[in-house]
Amino acid sequence: MDELQVVEFVATYLKKKGFSEAENALQAEIQRNKSSNNTNPIDILNDPELSKFFRTFSESEDGPARYQDEYSKLRSWTYSSLDLYKHELLHVLYPVFIHCFMDLVAKGHIQEARTFFNNFREDHEMMHLRDLQKLEGVLSPSHLEEMEFAHSLRHSKVNIKICQYSYELLLQYLHKTQSTKMLGIINERINFQVSPGQPSSISDDAEIVTLIGSNQDAANQINQKEVHWGLLEDSLENRLEKTGLISDSEKAEGENKEAEIDENKKRPVEGGKQGASIKKLKKDKAINATAKTSRLEANTVSTAPRVKPDLALPVMPTEVEQSILEDLRNRVHLSSAALPSVSFYTFINTHNGLNCASISQDGSLVAGGFSDSSLKVWDMAKLGQQAVSSGLQGENDTTPREDIIGPNGRKRSYTLYQGHSGPVYSASFSPLGDFILSSSADTTIRLWSTKLNANLVCYKGHNYPVWDVQFNPQGHYFASSSHDRTARIWSMDRIQPLRIMAGHLSDVDCVRWHINCNYIATGSSDKTVRLWDVSSGECVRIFIGHRSMILSLAMSPDGRYMASGDEDGTIMMWDLASGRCVTPLMGHTSCVWTLAYSCEGSLLASGSADCTVKLWDVTTSTKVLKTEEKSGTNRLRSLKTLPTKSTPVYSLQFSRRNLLFAAGALSKTS
Amino acid sequence: MSIVPKETVEVIAQSIGISHFSTDAALALAPDVEYRIREIMQEAIKCMRHSRRTTLTTDDVDEALKLRNVEPVYGFASGGPLRFRRAIGYRDLFYLDDKDVEFKEVIEAPLPRAPLDTSIVCHWLAIEGVQPVIPENAPVQGLKMGYLAGYNFLWQNSYTGGLECNVVCGRLAIAAPSNGTNNEQKDGLPVEIKLPVKHILSRELQLYFDKITELAVSRSDSVLFKQALVSLATDSGLHPLVPYFTYFVADEVSRGLNNYSLLFALMRVVWNLLQNPHIQIEPYLHQLMPSVVTCLVAKRLGNRLADNHWELRDFTAKLVAAICKRYGHVYNTLQTRLTKTLLNALLDPKRALTQHYGAVQGLAALGPNVVRLLLLPNLGPYLSLLEPEMLLEKQKNEVKRHEAWRVYGALLQAAGQCIYDRLKIFPPLSSLPACSVWKTNGIVATLSNKRKTSMDLEEQPPLKKIATDGPVDAVSTSSMPTPMEEDAAAATPLDNSDADHPSSSSGQIPPDSGSESRSKRGKGDSQAQKLSAILPQIWKDDLNSGKLLVSLFELFGEGILSFIPAPEMSLFL
Repeated sequence: MDELQVVEFVATYLKKKGFSEAENALQAEIQRNKSSNNTNPIDILNDPELSKFFRTFSESEDGPARYQDEYSKLRSWTYSSLDLYKHELLHVLYPVFIHCFMDLVAKGHIQEARTFFNNFREDHEMMHLRDLQKLEGVLSPSHLEEMEFAHSLRHSKVNIKICQYSYELLLQYLHKTQSTKMLGIINERINFQVSPGQPSSISDDAEIVTLIGSNQDAANQINQKEVHWGLLEDSLENRLEKTGLISDSEKAEGENKEAEIDENKKRPVEGGKQGASIKKLKKDKAINATAKTSRLEANTVSTAPRVKPDLALPVMPTEVEQSILEDLRNRVHLSSAALPSVSFYTFINTHNGLNCASISQDGSLVAGGFSDSSLKVWDMAKLGQQAVSSGLQGENDTTPREDIIGPNGRKRSYTLYQGHSGPVYSASFSPLGDFILSSSADTTIRLWSTKLNANLVCYKGHNYPVWDVQFNPQGHYFASSSHDRTARIWSMDRIQPLRIMAGHLSDVDCVRWHINCNYIATGSSDKTVRLWDVSSGECVRIFIGHRSMILSLAMSPDGRYMASGDEDGTIMMWDLASGRCVTPLMGHTSCVWTLAYSCEGSLLASGSADCTVKLWDVTTSTKVLKTEEKSGTNRLRSLKTLPTKSTPVYSLQFSRRNLLFAAGALSKTS
Repeated sequence: MSIVPKETVEVIAQSIGISHFSTDAALALAPDVEYRIREIMQEAIKCMRHSRRTTLTTDDVDEALKLRNVEPVYGFASGGPLRFRRAIGYRDLFYLDDKDVEFKEVIEAPLPRAPLDTSIVCHWLAIEGVQPVIPENAPVQGLKMGYLAGYNFLWQNSYTGGLECNVVCGRLAIAAPSNGTNNEQKDGLPVEIKLPVKHILSRELQLYFDKITELAVSRSDSVLFKQALVSLATDSGLHPLVPYFTYFVADEVSRGLNNYSLLFALMRVVWNLLQNPHIQIEPYLHQLMPSVVTCLVAKRLGNRLADNHWELRDFTAKLVAAICKRYGHVYNTLQTRLTKTLLNALLDPKRALTQHYGAVQGLAALGPNVVRLLLLPNLGPYLSLLEPEMLLEKQKNEVKRHEAWRVYGALLQAAGQCIYDRLKIFPPLSSLPACSVWKTNGIVATLSNKRKTSMDLEEQPPLKKIATDGPVDAVSTSSMPTPMEEDAAAATPLDNSDADHPSSSSGQIPPDSGSESRSKRGKGDSQAQKLSAILPQIWKDDLNSGKLLVSLFELFGEGILSFIPAPEMSLFL
């Protein structure tokens, strides 16, 4: 382009923008130059070639048709690209698509934006349905600002990992075809992380376009932080294991050494209390008999490192401790070959009002939270007697007797807790079963005593419905999560939260404690799971990979893994230390409401809205990981699918003896 | 451009009392309305998820509105789906059809039944990973359908077959499924869900059973009975009736041996029950088998001469074979016991010829291997017994002679089938020179021989004899797997059983002993046939069956030749 053309450019630009004075000045300048240099002037207005050029130039400024045109070209180019690089290039399409749409909206071409969106939305529906549904509603520039999702999209760059060659292919194409719009969007919105070598495998790049708050880099930085995922060093299981070792060493000299080695491996922090408990336990005659088996079992757990609790944890009464130890000794060992027994509690006549179900640690109490603001607790020990009486009544229910007495005349089979003023969304038993927490749409959490059958405390702090509440594994503390996008840590004796965990970009839907009580995990509608340090309140991990809202979480008993289930029926198992997904578990066809690890961590049970309980073998993968082998063989398998009779499974709970309890409401199949 | 048309906005504006509403304003508002609706829906979906539901209800929308600090929409809390009606004159304007309700009516109406209170029932979903079959658990796939299919049969018949099924239909309409938790709410009234404790046969199934049995007993030649049989063979909900049918068949067979048509009908019932893929009949086989075998080898079936009891026996033979084929692997003693019974019947000269016929047919139906192993060895002695019965001069009784000829025909067919089967598995004549075959055979035999001596078996034919005689089974079966060495281990047990009866085909063993091992051998043989491509085996088989053929020819004369394909015949004769 020679000098003259540049001048013409400038002139047209000024003219178009209405800078007439500047244009005149320029013209005058040109005239002067022309007269002085005596060069041939170019008739701007009459030269057809130039005017055409300028027309396209001015059109390209904001021609909405160009978006559609260029995008469809880019799309067809991508689809016809080489197979090896196709999936990487396809990932570029989605951000380009949404940004095209948002650009169109921002420039006010609503109609065009709508047609553009509808033309191409099918391409992305499978992967990003929920996002598309959200974006579909954006119909004016003001919405873009207002809607958080769109806002954050427009103010952050998308990170895409791409291999060198794909990147070059893309750039070549864009330059060659003069797709300035696309080029602009790609430059502006996408942050390419070009890696040399071969393109990544398809499975690796699931995380690419999930929206995370600030930046992928920030997430990576967060995930660099250290997580002490080990078990509590003074846990009962640990103690049981140690007593096992000691009694063994008393018996056999040979094993003594081994025991010592084992003991040296652990951190040699032995408080006086622990010693006392060992002595106390030694008196127990049953130990010698069962020690060996329990030791074998405990060995599987003992590979996990021990950590100190950051919180001051409550002291357990001795008799409770004893009973728990008894349970641990009698635990059934589960594996892929030995599947658990499942006891199912079916809620009937719920009239679609049951929002949540919770089962106490020993399975004796079952709580249901209802949409009529009530919390009902059934004592399953007493259920047998009632079944007899109701059975009798059931037999002659055709007689009008029932009408006269009515259901209220009958003695209720449950304890009714009234106090909430909105649907109860979650309930959680304390580890010993003497307290229940319930959270409700009325923004409060209430603490109830099962001994007194009364409300003890009402915790107010959240500003929006509290979706989930969960007792600490040791009791006393609890965590809650809410629509207000925070999770909070509370202790039973204070009405103010101790910590507020803020960072999620959407509702925090579920919360679970890590087994060592130092962390909580939260699952959110922003499709991420986060791990928070309880003492500092910081986010220490972000787990990205789910494609829809997270509904359920579970922590493995060795503290190393976490499982999360989402709306689509996908379950993902995460390694807490690395923050990576071990394997997705596919199988459910609908929402995964609940997840539970068996006590030794070998099985994962999942309950879903598709009316099944699935049991997954999670040992194979952990073994593979422990030996640091290459992935690929570590596919987790579904061991068993247990269909229920049109009963979505709301809650699952392994007892200490590894009996699995499940609860759900019978739903009508019409 | 937005899914909310401007007309809707205008109508809503009118409804809240804004009369002068410009089109521009409506156009501007429409997109925003859509956006707000989507926003509320998004919140409502969250509420739905947290209520553990997969269908959106009006309550969820109300909750979402509350979340947004908007006053909820009142009046939609009723359970039923909302019925919208199209406004006349407008293409896309809908309204809710609200009826005017008289206060008087409402007040005077009887109180509705109070909804039942929530309760919990507990059951085992699985015990150590296995789901117990209890009504609380999801039924085995297809069972539910079966009930309906059964009903359909009754329904159809009430129209087509002219049965007096109207009563049945009437009852069907009211009858709820017997399965406890299955209880649906039929009329919107809450129904308490009861769980049955004991095994109850539903009324429909009882009626079904009654109809079938009645048809079988009295009208087995009707079209209706054929439909009933189809129903028996296909319906999936009939499992609860199996014990009843079993009992019914056993009972009727023991009582009605004189009634030919009844017996045939019963056998057909059994046959069709066996065909039904949804029924597990194995637990009842031990009750069924005696009656079935009775129909095969009973002395008299039917009381009239015209009764074609041969046909019944043929049919029953097929039935028995089908049972053995299907459940032989579950009950490994089934076939053994059956063949023993049949063979006993055949070899007892005091039995009637009709019984012999049944036994021959039964054995023949069990397959050529059984025939070869059990029937052929006894063929010579038996035919010598049978021959006098067949001759006009020795047996004056026309009926007896006819029976004898029948038996002879059955024997001929069985033997012929057997030899045909043996011959047809060979590939068209092998072109390899005989000497090389002999060589390989000899080597193989040596190898296997060595192995055998180490195993210390009782009878060991000399090597030379094997090499020349060939047909000793033991060697050939053991020589067969040598090309595939991994099979050697599997072949050894076969050797064992073979060595016990080294020359079973030559008919020197007492027929009663070791029939089990023989059936095992049969399996081994069929395995061998699969691998018939292996040369020595073919050669041995050729020799073996050649010999067999010669012996059969001696016994039957020209009659057997019709069973032999032409090329083979040219080779052997």
